[in-house]
Amino acid sequence: MIYLLRHVTAYAYRNPVTQARCLLRLTPAEGDGQRVLSHRIGVDPLPHRRESGRDFFGNATLALTVETPHRAFRIEALSRVEVERMQLPDLASGLSWEEVRERALAVPSLGPDAPVHFTSPSRRVPVVAEVTDYARASFPPGGGAYAGAVDLMRRIRADFAFDATATEVATPLADAFAHRRGVCQDFAHIMIAGLRGLGLPAAYVSGYLRTRPPPGMARLEGADASHAWVSVWCGDGWHGLDPTNAIGVEDDHVVVARGRDYADVAPVAGIIAGSGAQTLQVAVDVVPEDEEAAAAG
Amino acid sequence: MSAAAPLAVREAGGETSEAEATRRERRARWCADYRPRPGVPDEMIGPDGAIRPAWDRFLDRLADLAEDEVSARFAAAARHIHNSGMAYRVYGEAAERDWPLGVLPLLIEGAEWAEIAAGVAQRASLMETVLADLYGEAHLVAAGLIPAAAVAASPEFLRPLHGVRQPGGGRQLHLYAADLSRGPDGRWRVLADRTQAPSGTGYALENRMVLARALPEVHGALAVRPLAPFFQAFRDGLAAAAERAEPRIALLTSGPYGDTYVEQAVLARYLGFALVEGDDLTVQDGRLFIRTVAGLKRADVLWRRVDGDFVDPLSLNPASRLGVPGLVEALQAGACVMGNMPGAGLVEGGWLASCLPALAEHLFGEPLRLPGLPTWWCGDPAQRDAVLARADTLTLRPASAPAQGAFTTRAFGLRDPEETGRLFAILRDRPGDLVAQEPVQLSTAPAWDGPGLVPRPFVLRVFAAATPGGWAVMPGGFCRVSEQPDVQPVAMGTGVRAADVWVLADAPADPAAAPMPRLEQAPVRRVSGLLPSRAADNLFWLGRYLERAEAMVRLTICLLSGAGAVPLSEADEGTARRLRGLLHAWGAVPTVVGPAAALAAHALSGREAWGSARTHVLAARRNAASLRERLSVEMWRSLSALLDVLDRPGGTGSEAQWLDRAERALGLGAALSGLAQENMNRAGGWPFVDIGRRIERAINTCRFAGLFAAEAATADDLGLLLQLADSRISYGARYLLGVALSPVRDMVLLDPYNPRSVAFQVERLAEHFAGLPALRQDGLPEPQTRLVRSLTGEIAGTEAAALTPDVAAAWEERLWAIAEAVETRYFPGGSEAARPERLVALA
Repeated sequence: MIYLLRHVTAYAYRNPVTQARCLLRLTPAEGDGQRVLSHRIGVDPLPHRRESGRDFFGNATLALTVETPHRAFRIEALSRVEVERMQLPDLASGLSWEEVRERALAVPSLGPDAPVHFTSPSRRVPVVAEVTDYARASFPPGGGAYAGAVDLMRRIRADFAFDATATEVATPLADAFAHRRGVCQDFAHIMIAGLRGLGLPAAYVSGYLRTRPPPGMARLEGADASHAWVSVWCGDGWHGLDPTNAIGVEDDHVVVARGRDYADVAPVAGIIAGSGAQTLQVAVDVVPEDEEAAAAG
Repeated sequence: MSAAAPLAVREAGGETSEAEATRRERRARWCADYRPRPGVPDEMIGPDGAIRPAWDRFLDRLADLAEDEVSARFAAAARHIHNSGMAYRVYGEAAERDWPLGVLPLLIEGAEWAEIAAGVAQRASLMETVLADLYGEAHLVAAGLIPAAAVAASPEFLRPLHGVRQPGGGRQLHLYAADLSRGPDGRWRVLADRTQAPSGTGYALENRMVLARALPEVHGALAVRPLAPFFQAFRDGLAAAAERAEPRIALLTSGPYGDTYVEQAVLARYLGFALVEGDDLTVQDGRLFIRTVAGLKRADVLWRRVDGDFVDPLSLNPASRLGVPGLVEALQAGACVMGNMPGAGLVEGGWLASCLPALAEHLFGEPLRLPGLPTWWCGDPAQRDAVLARADTLTLRPASAPAQGAFTTRAFGLRDPEETGRLFAILRDRPGDLVAQEPVQLSTAPAWDGPGLVPRPFVLRVFAAATPGGWAVMPGGFCRVSEQPDVQPVAMGTGVRAADVWVLADAPADPAAAPMPRLEQAPVRRVSGLLPSRAADNLFWLGRYLERAEAMVRLTICLLSGAGAVPLSEADEGTARRLRGLLHAWGAVPTVVGPAAALAAHALSGREAWGSARTHVLAARRNAASLRERLSVEMWRSLSALLDVLDRPGGTGSEAQWLDRAERALGLGAALSGLAQENMNRAGGWPFVDIGRRIERAINTCRFAGLFAAEAATADDLGLLLQLADSRISYGARYLLGVALSPVRDMVLLDPYNPRSVAFQVERLAEHFAGLPALRQDGLPEPQTRLVRSLTGEIAGTEAAALTPDVAAAWEERLWAIAEAVETRYFPGGSEAARPERLVALA
């Protein structure tokens, strides 16, 4: 499947901003069933400096410095991405979760994919005893690690309400857990906290969902903005699980960046010199190329 | 030093048996109750039960002094500490406390010290090597010598710094410290490694200065090794890593509310480093600059006292207010040197102690010269099993946390059931989060307990500085001694005293050859002319707030004493009404009616009023707190005294009492401005204090003139104006007839010879602006200069007779514009006061 992606981020400021410094993670990931066919990031006003790089986890970054005084700041990322992933693993396969956590502790590597980076609390994901206890119910002694993670994902989907008004980007995980509602970011953080509380490696993935479902299918939650889900390490590699929709990650998901939590992969992080209110608008379109062509034709 | 008691003199050719007997008797009395705990090594009493030679010599010399002389010396030392503003802050407390320096030094013989120094240098090298590996290729992880899980779990493993190599050899550590104590076998051992941003070097320096001054004979006779060469080496090591020959070195401080800010100010002053906060720095085109009043100045080296995770809110902790956005990018580009590298705190984690012996063998082919605490990392199944088997003798603590404050003495298997259950649950689910250690019992050293010596637990911090030629270990250190026999001195706070550390040279000095105390010689270094914009901003507002407070005190004095001998309330209702109205408009009193004493209480000491003299002085002190390295001790003290006077509880004092308070405040304020004038280094920013004062005074005077020199002004109005402008005497000397409108207006607004007139203030401003660095290359005047020149010209061309209150009001407007131009030109971000803000993040 080939997707056309468009992600627009637009800030408006009440007072002029004299300097802005940003770190963008808006470039879709290469590999693991994804190929980036073309990609472009446009910025207005034009930045004074523009440096591409990669972060520790291998995500593509773009560092910008804007030194033109401005009241509006617009970032538009356009990508063409081919997605063709392997089939989801068999639920009954794989190692037990106890084995997985022992192995994760023993892997002698600090490489970007190494499970050790994803087993401990991180900036946005503390280990919370209540969340760990909630997760434990999905992991009976000797149970499979992958099966347990899938069960946990389904329970989160069943027990939590999707509510875009319940939380903000900065809402602590424990609050969202206590109220049993939130958005994709909250569900991903809660699931990660539960897995890590048991010593299991879990990563946070940012990306997109296709905007319109295939004919006859329900529209998925989180498709009109950037999306987030979880990747779990089960001893044999990483597997994507989307607790917002209770599905495994297949060809409807496009991966942009991977880290320990939201703080590692924020699509736009930045510091501005200026004061006064700011507003933000985000628009995301993810459309299969053939549908776009059909619509155009 | 006290002159009350003559110094005891040791006679050159031997001493009388009587003196000798007195000395012996004193010594014996001091040591009579000295009993180290069984099984706990002690510094004074050796393992053989005999007094160690260094202490023997020390006590001999100390006993030369009579008891009252000893107490007088120590009292003088305490006064010196108080007066010099040497202080620290207990975490979470607003007020600073005087530095609690114990009167006895910790003594270490040269030979023993050589062992410690070699061990500390070895550990520093180990830490450097381990950090370079973990932030690079991680060979030690692949080789199984360091558990990846322990590294990755540490909040101090700062991933953006991975693969970043500093210029000048990729050094991670410039300053390393180790906390030491003796183990049960009497050997020194390391309780904790400090690699983040070790504190204490400045305290060690101050401790030495105070103690060498308090006990010059003893210090001189014992051949104590000086500390100055260490600081020179540390500075040279930082400079050597820079790209330029004369690098500009800055100390990145955690700010005036940090617990060790005073120490940081001491070090910046001693080492000649610019003391900067995050806001003083900016990264542009990948390079690091200090914002100064003379524009951006490149910073080559940054010595940070801010935790690594907080140095850059963009790449690291987004919540940080202490850092510099883009600093990590500058480090990645190799554009500046930082000591220690952010992320160096990684190796403070307790887990490392479990690998260190094997690492020393693997990397250097030698055992650890200074052992650490026996430590088990529970993430390893074999070590975990060993720990579970000894649950009733080991303590558990977080694997990533530094050892600071965490020397628990209770084994985890012996705690209450709930706590034990919690720990066992962590051992099951997340065993890598914990390390186990044997409980620590600190060894003891002598402390002075009034009548004599007592053994007290202590921790000795030893420092090593990286130099191109290897590690330089400070011959001395920072020692914390508990005041209680069984409490561990983990942090400075109640019940803990600092002690100076005397490392003795091998050959004892001949007292005749070194008659003078060998005080630390500070290296000669002129204060650089570099004035960060934020410091200038604080100086400017220090001046403005002090002047504002003075104006409020003068208004209060007028309220209480009237324009002359006659109280206002009886003579002229109009003048009194105008005065009370101004106090109200300036936020000093809640109402314009009521007894003068009650209003004076508000105006002077009001806590709620935003315009009271107390509020302004408090604001001035806040500005001064950020300027500790630039203000003299006397200035700081005077400012505190001024606040004390205003802060004193007044209750329902009489008018006379409040008048007395106001006059005392006025006197202290005058002393302060005299001190600023006389003592402040001109390169250190005095002009900005004066600019602030002048602008404020000119603004206030315009306002006073508008109110009290209107066309219908009464004699009381004019008298009051002269009083407010402190010009009554000059006026009386010049005009023999009574007060009249035009002469008063002339004297208060136009007279360039009257140091309180608006004309005088504006001329001083023009002089200051001319003397400050200009940014423009085209020779055109900067805005503040243009504005002040035009105002000076207009004032010079104005006649008193033609002056109306409107004119004074217009001048006030223009003075505000000058103030704004000053802020825009010299201070960070200009008058929009643009503190960096975060972009609203995305969902």
